[in-house]
Amino acid sequence: MMNQSKPTIVWFQAITCNGNTHSLLSSNSNRFELFLNSFNLIYHPSLTINNSLEYILENQKEIDFLLVEGSISSNEFIFSISNDSSKNLLEKLALRSKYIIAVGSCASFGGIHAKFTQNDDICGIKEALENNNLQTLIHPIINLSGCPVHPEWIFQTLFSLKTFGKIDLDEVGRPKELYSTLAHHGCTRNEYFEWKVEGNFGQKEGCLFYNQGCRGPMTHSSCNKILWNEISSKTRVGMPCIGCTETDFPRNNMLETKKNMGIPQEVPLGISKRAYLSISGVAKTFKIDRLHKKLME
Amino acid sequence: MKTVDIVERIEGEAKLNCTWKDGIISDARIDFLNFRGFEYILEGKSPLDALIYTPRICGICGQAHLKATVDALENVYENIGEKLEVTQKAKLLRQIGLNIEIIDSHIKWFYLFIMPDIIKLDSNDLGIYEPLKGQRWLEACKTASETIKSLAIIGGQWPHSSYMLPGGVVSDPTLMDLVNMQNYLHYALVFFEKSIAGISLENYLSFDSVNNIEKLNSDMKCFKDLCLKHNLQNFGKSYNRFITLGETNLFKNGKIKIKLVNKIDLTKVSENSYFTFSMIEKENNDKKHTWSKSVSYNDNIYETGPLARAITSNRKFIKDIHKNYADSVFTRVMSRLDELAYLIDDTKSLISKINIKEDSFIKPKIILSEIEKASAISVVEATRGSLYHKINIEKGKIKSYDVITPTVWNLGPVYKKQKGIAQNAMIGLPSIEIAKIVLRSFDVCSVCTTH
Repeated sequence: MMNQSKPTIVWFQAITCNGNTHSLLSSNSNRFELFLNSFNLIYHPSLTINNSLEYILENQKEIDFLLVEGSISSNEFIFSISNDSSKNLLEKLALRSKYIIAVGSCASFGGIHAKFTQNDDICGIKEALENNNLQTLIHPIINLSGCPVHPEWIFQTLFSLKTFGKIDLDEVGRPKELYSTLAHHGCTRNEYFEWKVEGNFGQKEGCLFYNQGCRGPMTHSSCNKILWNEISSKTRVGMPCIGCTETDFPRNNMLETKKNMGIPQEVPLGISKRAYLSISGVAKTFKIDRLHKKLME
Repeated sequence: MKTVDIVERIEGEAKLNCTWKDGIISDARIDFLNFRGFEYILEGKSPLDALIYTPRICGICGQAHLKATVDALENVYENIGEKLEVTQKAKLLRQIGLNIEIIDSHIKWFYLFIMPDIIKLDSNDLGIYEPLKGQRWLEACKTASETIKSLAIIGGQWPHSSYMLPGGVVSDPTLMDLVNMQNYLHYALVFFEKSIAGISLENYLSFDSVNNIEKLNSDMKCFKDLCLKHNLQNFGKSYNRFITLGETNLFKNGKIKIKLVNKIDLTKVSENSYFTFSMIEKENNDKKHTWSKSVSYNDNIYETGPLARAITSNRKFIKDIHKNYADSVFTRVMSRLDELAYLIDDTKSLISKINIKEDSFIKPKIILSEIEKASAISVVEATRGSLYHKINIEKGKIKSYDVITPTVWNLGPVYKKQKGIAQNAMIGLPSIEIAKIVLRSFDVCSVCTTH
């Protein structure tokens, strides 16, 4: 059974930029304190002071929640932590954990670091652990993808598991409640998308899907629903979504839209090209003055 | 006697190897054993994609990498005779974003990464500074997370925004956005006045002599008293040589070996891999012990960072502290906090200078993927010191990308016969606790050091 009053958390950093840690530290401070009061964070390499990773490995026989930041490799020469490979350490920790949660796209799917192909065994934790019989695990591995992960996604997942013990996951291991919607949902530029009004960098108006490479309509995330730093999102300020929660991140040419004969090669998720073209053609025949004007002169 | 310690609670991890003679460190070596290969990753990528990749070199100083990439790409345009027009507004929004990131980092570093260790020299009861529990530790986290919202207003999010691009920035803030930015930044100002310095910012900024340290209250007083009690004004001294490669309205570039010269020639910066592991197996030998390279300017090694910036920019309070306590732990940490005060003041003023009527972005006429061959260098002042990027483009793709981070200057291994800056600073120290504090005083980012 999980320690109901204050479940233990070990945060393990593997091949990472520490961006997910700094995302956690950028969370709402009341929520962060509630998190610290509700769970027993016994080890985090940047935050806790009393326990080293070595101490945890020797003394902590049971871990309720193992949170992993960063991708994994068996190559100890290129990447070693506390005199061991990230893969060995992950295995040692995973074999005593009840829940394993990947925080960020690197731990989920390999992410940016898996592009370091000279070291070709870099991967996410699910792949790294596929040959292990994880007997203590009571739930499928959870992927909280995102580069970085949103701190609320961590909190909401942990609190839900603490309360209900189980959450529904999509086919790549992400919680459905957080990743069933698209980054597009809640984007303040949606009306420009509906009426096919193209945007430019540096402007409040227009949609970034047509030229700037925005992946909002194809990317599962709640970035425009649960806002970043509580107040903002990339697409709201004018930066295209780069699809960082998906398995194929990072892709090539992320700041431009690939087009054929002026039409985006990829259309919104689940919409047939024919449907997309018909509706676009119709929308474009109407020139809506308001949407072609500056919001404020 | 030899000791080996793994140092955590820095950004990443470092291995500290000390040789002891009569209870004193006679030699020290720092190993960074985690390599992520960013320069390899960038090869063959589209130049604009570097704007997405390089911020992800580091979760705490990503905006510095972003700015270095955007400056390098704009320098590419300049080098092919197609200098881009970038508005004052876009330039301000970039500098403001970078400043806010440094403010956030300096606050977190002091409370998360060094203050607990300083208190521990004195008592096992960390009180308000206790990680995860102490009131001040929590307040520092809160202040950082409120302050960084100011950057999220123009960047969309933090960490890992890519809001700068050649020609300007993606965002177009309104007047109310600018007011909100000032409001969020105000949290840092209030925290500085109430908890860090314990006096008004205005009063603090008038300091010009070492005697002014007596006017400090709150945490800077606590820090100062503990430093003087435990001799940290005498520990951690290295070569007393400083370099600042980048320039802003607040920081002047320059170097000082004996005399300050406010001029930098970037062709004199060179990297060395004599003690650095290689991905090419046959190049490795038993002399190699770290993934960090070393870097020199005109064949000499220098310390970079907030202390270097205070010296090359002639900030009086720190210059006078330095005159008395040289490049000690005390001076180094004070420089970082002093810089925090100046950055808060400067950033508030930069925000007030923005003219929202100007363009945020002017589209370049040529796209980078059509450039046959070009290269460019950029330098940026990041949280931990001078950051250098060099890009080579061939046939519209990145042929090579070189990154020299501030921590390579400070934490790199022996260069020719000169011991690295931090390595040298540890010789003569009386205990491993002090050695770790000296190492921490450089604001270690293992993630950046090896990248």
